[in-house]
Amino acid sequence: MKVSIIPASFWQPLKVSLLAASLLSFVFACNSPGDKLPVLGEKEAVTRTVDGKTVTDSVAHQIPDFAFVDQYNDTITAKTVAGKIYVADFFFTSCPTICPKMKVQLKRVYEKYKGNSDVMLLSHSIDPRHDSVSVLNEFAANLGVTGKQWLFLTGDRDKMYDIGQNSYMVTAQEDSSVPGGVVHSGAFILVDKDRRIRGIYDGTTAAGTDKLMNDIDRLLAEYKA
Amino acid sequence: MRKLLCAFAGALSLIGGVVSCQSDEEIKRQKYITEGILLYQNYCANCHQPKGQGLAALYPPIANSDYLQHKDSVICLIRYGMQGPVVVNGKTYNRVMPAQPQLSDLEVAELVTYIYNEWGKETQLTGLNTVKSQLEKCRPKN
Repeated sequence: MKVSIIPASFWQPLKVSLLAASLLSFVFACNSPGDKLPVLGEKEAVTRTVDGKTVTDSVAHQIPDFAFVDQYNDTITAKTVAGKIYVADFFFTSCPTICPKMKVQLKRVYEKYKGNSDVMLLSHSIDPRHDSVSVLNEFAANLGVTGKQWLFLTGDRDKMYDIGQNSYMVTAQEDSSVPGGVVHSGAFILVDKDRRIRGIYDGTTAAGTDKLMNDIDRLLAEYKA
Repeated sequence: MRKLLCAFAGALSLIGGVVSCQSDEEIKRQKYITEGILLYQNYCANCHQPKGQGLAALYPPIANSDYLQHKDSVICLIRYGMQGPVVVNGKTYNRVMPAQPQLSDLEVAELVTYIYNEWGKETQLTGLNTVKSQLEKCRPKN
């Protein structure tokens, strides 16, 4: 199926958990300015054996390892972002609705942190069948993006949707009930050096993106302290 | 003298008629522009940006765009979209512009009126009939 038009319902579907999470982050941010950013996501129970006893710990949600290909045809994994904080988002190149808005906003982030080797941007294509390496390469060039700080990722479609839904907690799925056939959220996700989600922002607005950049500064400061 | 007065009154009423006609036309133009702004924000601004400046080398500008001289083509591509390379102000752009088949003839006229009044240095509206006949010409045959 060729995806060319994306519906208004684009905006709508952040999952409830995500909403709760961003609400939480908002509350946290208000209560304790200057303090550490919260770690978002449900805690996961990990059971292991210590000295012959079974112990169950709760561990913060973490982005698992992944393997996609970028606009330069290089394989990108969790290793690529090791020791860096990064912003993730989901888009596709032929999307005429919120994607251009998000790219305008993310370009501001790119310009602000250009050359800062601690910060990366990962834009995941949710239309990887159309968005080949060469399509992404041309898109990035046309957007005025050079170098390897902002990577545009393509790869296995199911893995792309899976990491969006289950790891970054944003909606990214095919939905034949909507005109374009794909829904995804307009969120930017801020991930720390331990691949934990520290903030989720409205990537379609300047205000949401300003908050992201403010939080990037706070997160960078955590590592300096 | 009487004749002169008569002529004067006649001229006055003629002017009055013209003026009131113009202001009807002006009210209609303002209506088209108001609707056109909303349509532009909904259907065009994501790519072409709120001030018509375009987005890098991805989407061409509408403001200060030499492509505006092709008004017939502008009317058509709003409804039927566009594919393949296009040169705007000497730069080549090559992305698919999606069709907007849901836009009525009137809505296309309102959009075109807004665009040409905002960025095409026009001060009159592009009427429904002009748009209708142009859209008929470029309707894809199938």
